[in-house]
Amino acid sequence: MLEIRDVVKSYDGRAVVNRVSFEVHPGEIFALLGPNGAGKTTLIRMITDILRPDSGTIVLDGAPVGGERKRQIGYLPEERGLYRRSRTLETLAYFGQLKGLSAREAAREAGALLERVDLMEWAQKQVQALSKGMQQKVQLCTALIGTPRILILDEPFSGLDPINVQLLEEILDERRRAGATVLLSTHQMNKVEELCDRALMIHHGLMVLYGSVEEIRRRYADHAITVRTAAALDRVPGVRSIERSDGDLKLTLEAEATPRGVLRALLEQGVEMDSFALATLPLEDVFIKVVREGRGLDHGQSGGADAATPAAEARR
Amino acid sequence: MNFSWPRVTTIARREFLATVRRKAFVFTAIGTPAYFAFVMFLSVGPQVKETVKVLESFKSLGVVDSSGLFGTARPTIDSSIRFDENPFSKDVSVQEFRTEVRFFASEAAAESALRALEITQVLVIPADYLETGRLRRYARTSSLFSGADRRAISTWLVQGLVEPRAGTVTAARAARPTADVALYTLDSEGQFELKDDRRELVDLLLPLAFAMLLGMTITVGGQYLLQGVAEEKESRIMESLLCTVSSEELLGGKLIGLGSAGLLLIVLWAAMGLPFVGTAGMVMNLRLPPSLLALVVAYFLLGYLFYASLMTGIGSVASSMREAQQFSVWFTFANFAPLIMLALILSNPGSPLAVGLSLFPVTAGTTMMLRLTASTPTVTGLQLALSLSLLAASAVLALVASARVFRIGLLMYGKTPRLPEILRWARRG
Repeated sequence: MLEIRDVVKSYDGRAVVNRVSFEVHPGEIFALLGPNGAGKTTLIRMITDILRPDSGTIVLDGAPVGGERKRQIGYLPEERGLYRRSRTLETLAYFGQLKGLSAREAAREAGALLERVDLMEWAQKQVQALSKGMQQKVQLCTALIGTPRILILDEPFSGLDPINVQLLEEILDERRRAGATVLLSTHQMNKVEELCDRALMIHHGLMVLYGSVEEIRRRYADHAITVRTAAALDRVPGVRSIERSDGDLKLTLEAEATPRGVLRALLEQGVEMDSFALATLPLEDVFIKVVREGRGLDHGQSGGADAATPAAEARR
Repeated sequence: MNFSWPRVTTIARREFLATVRRKAFVFTAIGTPAYFAFVMFLSVGPQVKETVKVLESFKSLGVVDSSGLFGTARPTIDSSIRFDENPFSKDVSVQEFRTEVRFFASEAAAESALRALEITQVLVIPADYLETGRLRRYARTSSLFSGADRRAISTWLVQGLVEPRAGTVTAARAARPTADVALYTLDSEGQFELKDDRRELVDLLLPLAFAMLLGMTITVGGQYLLQGVAEEKESRIMESLLCTVSSEELLGGKLIGLGSAGLLLIVLWAAMGLPFVGTAGMVMNLRLPPSLLALVVAYFLLGYLFYASLMTGIGSVASSMREAQQFSVWFTFANFAPLIMLALILSNPGSPLAVGLSLFPVTAGTTMMLRLTASTPTVTGLQLALSLSLLAASAVLALVASARVFRIGLLMYGKTPRLPEILRWARRG
């Protein structure tokens, strides 16, 4: 398990990452979200031991990251780059050797990865001969080689066509099922909804959201439920307003009402329903809402961040 | 500090192979000696040929002697060129030439003969030659690159003036009074040693060769490092690498791999020049004591570590390859500065300037090579110890500082940090 506890990193007296704490469990895909300049890259660089935190700890399976534990992390940085004049297979095998594989193992695994991403015929070509998308896949392979237990992917979908996006999703699923932990940093909220179990959002270096993706989406859905029914609802006890959208009815509840109470009231009224669910807000809307509302968090309003710490999460 | 030798050797091997497999490396390895050989061939070959051509075409000299001093002078001028096919060969080949001397009663007659191609040149000796030394020479053309014909005429004039009064032998000596002089100088053991032309050549070339080789080895390795770091920074690969290896491992691997590539280049150049150098060494009875070779190795290792660390620092803070090279040129220039002051250092290897340069880390290696191999060695044990200590301390400081700058600078894209910022990284990391 990867545990980040109270990590702080400052530049020129300004906290770029400020008391961030979270956990990522084996076999889960975890999203690291935040607007540009939120401190995501700095946080990732500390997890990969490229940068050292000013305070706080980053622990992998009970021991600090760094040293030999670095080899258990595969990283696809947002700033992509490869040795342009080296051959594709040779480049991958080099990264494999740096991760502790023997020359033979590295070459074998590099070949298998190229086969998996449909680039075997480019194995002996120089990297500079490959298209941007192909280079992106080779770069992904540099993160995958050595079968790391933690995979950190920064904007992995950018520059990929739909077929390769699907291929990447398959690979992530394979790795997740094999027990790897995937930490995904992306601005594509639909991908987070599709792939991720839990998410952390930081803004101005502070934590502003932390929890399961579904729970986050529900939390920001204005205390509402969605009902699919042919019946015309006029007045339901505990419901403040009723709106129709896409064939469903969105029932916004009064502050003291509960979804269970509203369900009971609907059944008592004899309303026939095809579905009854807690309303959720698209993650993209949550993102925009939090970023807009979250202004000023770096000016001392740390309540939002505190409310999202693992301890606060556990209390809920 | 996280440091694993297997990873360092993996990085070193990759850096070495990636460098030596480049077309530019192969071209430099073969092209540079070929270029110098070509330039030598172009400059030395034609010069010798021109001298031969001038003397071969100098068949006859028309003399108009108004002074009456040369009435009994020789009717021929005998010249010779002593030259070696290999300048360090023991075999000396000599080519001889003869010029006929014809006397003319008037300048007009001599001029007509010159125009009619009956003679090659005309020498007019005025009546007051003894007092004024003035002469006039007429020729159809003259050579820009050889004065062999003038030297031949000079010999004839000396013989003409001296022979009637002092005899043939004295005249020959007067014509070339120091043609065969033996010079003895004190050697390093305090004994007088014959210092012939070849020995003089060694006294100049040996220090120059050692200083050049040391300077070039250090510079080439350091420049490879500069290029490697700047290119990797430009290609944005650093973040992927630093996630897997520590900055110390990356820097160590680069220092070893690219230093080896630079060393290989120099070894290849030396191997290409080996037949020439080997012959020279045998002919000149070169004595290179093991202590000197040990010092060469020590200065190479420390000098390379110092220079390469500086280049790493520059490569990691510069935002592009071009900018990195602009910064590095000053250090490269400093490394070779002692060669610009070659004459000053070799003429007085114990001067304050020479001692100062051999203590200053940037110029220590090349200056010490010049001083240690100079014909009159003046390096004291204290100076040597001080020079090596200062260089070692500077190399360690530069390495530590550049490792700190390297780790931070590599991840800064598109912006060159200011000097105070770089100094802060170097101090605190």
